[in-house]
Amino acid sequence: MQRQTHEEILGRVFQARDQQASRRGLLRGAVSAGGAATLALAPMVSAVNAQDGASDEDILSVLNYALTLENLENAFYRDGLASFTVEAFTALGFQTSVVDYLAQIGSDELAHVTTLTQVISDLGGTPVAEGQYDFGDAFTDAPTFLATAMALENTGVAAYTGAAQYLIDNDDLLTAALTIHGVEARHAAYLNILNEEDPFPEAFDAPMTPDEVVEIATPFIVSADVVTPAGAAVATPVA
Amino acid sequence: MSLLHERMMEEVRVELRRLASRRRFLTGSATLAAGSALALAVNGVPLLPGLQVARAQTTFADDIEVLNYALTLEHLEATFYRQGLEQFTDADFGESPFGRPISERLTAIRDHEVAHVEALTATINDLGGDPVAEADYDFGYTDVATFLQTAQALENTGVSAYDGAGQFISDPALLTTAGSIVAVEARHAAYLNLLNGALPFPAPFETPLTPDEVLAIAGPFIVSATAESTPAA
Repeated sequence: MQRQTHEEILGRVFQARDQQASRRGLLRGAVSAGGAATLALAPMVSAVNAQDGASDEDILSVLNYALTLENLENAFYRDGLASFTVEAFTALGFQTSVVDYLAQIGSDELAHVTTLTQVISDLGGTPVAEGQYDFGDAFTDAPTFLATAMALENTGVAAYTGAAQYLIDNDDLLTAALTIHGVEARHAAYLNILNEEDPFPEAFDAPMTPDEVVEIATPFIVSADVVTPAGAAVATPVA
Repeated sequence: MSLLHERMMEEVRVELRRLASRRRFLTGSATLAAGSALALAVNGVPLLPGLQVARAQTTFADDIEVLNYALTLEHLEATFYRQGLEQFTDADFGESPFGRPISERLTAIRDHEVAHVEALTATINDLGGDPVAEADYDFGYTDVATFLQTAQALENTGVSAYDGAGQFISDPALLTTAGSIVAVEARHAAYLNLLNGALPFPAPFETPLTPDEVLAIAGPFIVSATAESTPAA
């Protein structure tokens, strides 16, 4: 009965998002022509109370696990993109917008680091610090950079998919983690395309255990504290 | 209209009405939260910089209800792609600037949505629940361009729906499964954003939506849920 034109439908989508963002005072009118919304960082608002079922220490370990990976990704894009010229990518046949998108991904990772660090501090924990990393040829060879980025992003998605269960007793932190998780999946899809891979190779994204993730990340780490979820021993991700 | 078809439509209608009426019942009510593990009475405030939390305006009695909510959306998506790929030819979609023909990518997305429908249906059955059935939809697109724009809206809404509903899942294994689905939806969303000329990752954090917000967006697509005015039992 209520036949909707696509304009009306899209309008509703964006209206709903804008309303929600506006309610929370997070959106500062920063909507681009592409319909992309940029969230401005609001001042720190409230503390988080861990709920029953997981100790504060357990929760902090999960958040520091995420931060361990985000630190790695943030350093990768920050230092990697600084070591290349735009021409290094356009020489591969890419448009200059690819470099902009890679910078956007780096900016997203920095936002994840900043937010997770603040959350952990606010909960009374000690945020794991950025370490020293070695990405090998990724900072001198653009194709290697893109291949490494793809590996990092897809690993990141699998890490969040596998770790979400450790936040099941804390609705707020679980939801927050999911909102990062989705963005990592978007990054992964895009980097798969840049590497001429399928952006969505499976119907279900495979979760990885913290052990599996650490095994992949370790070769990049010269020295860094690697934190894994304290509850990981008692709950195993399922495929 | 066949009896079976009528029954399928009724199931979706009842599901949507149930969600809507539960929302009205619980809105603003602190006392009802007393017997629930869910913090319904908590005021929605931004948790942390950049992080958003979809506060419970609608809630779910158990994991089966969350899964049926997800299944309602997956049915919608699966049907959307199935119909679109029947209606348009490969040539209609044209070549892709992103490696493979658009029709090939859309076929993969359709297959994913079908796999999600099948997995959710099987899981709900295993849990002793009654999986919601496919309904009648009207997506309102008129050509490939509007089809792709609607696809973009559906995928991005799907991500927001899962992000908003994850907190209601109580079984860790089911939460992991939901996570493995939402990641794929986010991948689809990134691709469709690209096709439509939008940023594939428009913000550093996804926007979780409550079931009410999602139903306000997706509900109008469901012909059978809006065609009748008689309240369900």
